[in-house]
Amino acid sequence: MRRAPSWPRHAIMVVVSCLMLVPFYWVLKTSLTGENIYAYPPHIVPVDPHLFHYVDVWYLIPFPRYLLNSVIVTTMAICGNLLFNTVAGYALTKQFPGRRWVVLLFLSCMLIPFQATIIPAYLITSWLGVLNTYLGVALPLLSTIICIFIFKASFEAVPKSLIDAARVDGLSEWRIVVRIMLPLSKAAIATNVVLTFIWSWNAFLWPLIVIRTSEMQTLPLGLARFLSVLEDTTGALFAFVVMVLVPGLTIFLMAQKEFIRGLTSGATKG
Amino acid sequence: MSWRRILTHRFVVVPLAVALLAAGWNIYIRFNDDGLIEGEVRDRTGAPVSGATVVFFERNFVYYQEKQRTMTDAHGTYRFDGMQVHVGQLEARTEDGRHSERRQLRLWFRAQNAEVAPLIVDAPRG
Repeated sequence: MRRAPSWPRHAIMVVVSCLMLVPFYWVLKTSLTGENIYAYPPHIVPVDPHLFHYVDVWYLIPFPRYLLNSVIVTTMAICGNLLFNTVAGYALTKQFPGRRWVVLLFLSCMLIPFQATIIPAYLITSWLGVLNTYLGVALPLLSTIICIFIFKASFEAVPKSLIDAARVDGLSEWRIVVRIMLPLSKAAIATNVVLTFIWSWNAFLWPLIVIRTSEMQTLPLGLARFLSVLEDTTGALFAFVVMVLVPGLTIFLMAQKEFIRGLTSGATKG
Repeated sequence: MSWRRILTHRFVVVPLAVALLAAGWNIYIRFNDDGLIEGEVRDRTGAPVSGATVVFFERNFVYYQEKQRTMTDAHGTYRFDGMQVHVGQLEARTEDGRHSERRQLRLWFRAQNAEVAPLIVDAPRG
């Protein structure tokens, strides 16, 4: 039986990929030209492109400060996620009374939107005295249920005999996690890092509520402030958007193989 | 995992490359950020214009105002020192009321040393 040629399928995929990249291209093109987005007819190819809008963004708004704040908050969120989710995920692979109920509780909590828990979260953050601090901004993202389940699925895929052998060799539970589980769960780690990075980097609502001073603002808040304060800054605005997007895209491109593997293993082995 | 594999891992190489680029760029800035802006004022015949006033307007998203002014010397050259700006406009004005077009000046970083193309004013009347 003759196999159907693969090029039509690839051609369709290329066309669909190009269509999906059009918004990114448009943002990039506008950041390089400053062309008014309502200009008609629009130019498909950039006319007189330059990088000076990026320089404007760097100097005319406190971009380095926003960037630093975002980096600190995201780093804290990623570290917290790796620590707490690993521990929680490992605990859920064990048999203990009420385990089923804990899993059910976690799953049911996933159904509640974050907006519904903002007031209690704010009150807890206030009670802890970490409002308007990096810790306060990172707090809700220090552990996420979906990432706990990704770790749980990954840990459950590790052969039990390996863990038993480690235990016979005298390794403590903590060392089993660090020395055996984590090295065998690179895909889960990458998935955690990428997801937490994206959620933390793009977080808007929670930082908007918790942060009170402009020195503590993160990039998405800076973008909103940029939009509300300044006019006729199309090129700089889109340059800002690109500068916010680039770190996330870079992290995703670096970890995409592990990210996809981590998500699919979570989907099939959970 | 060997050190070689760790050092050539993309999670190490990419941030390291970005850090090196940033460091290189900052070193370059460090040696070229005296804020010197130099240029010439000429008339349409190409003759240097001495004694002309050159005005630097600072422009950003919110305001547009005169920042500094200087005079051209006998050779028609002018120079601004310590200009902590990265964008602005230059205009030359002569005592008899002639002036050049406002020249947009965009720099790659704040206080970059720059040499501006000649500002052209009309030739003297009569």
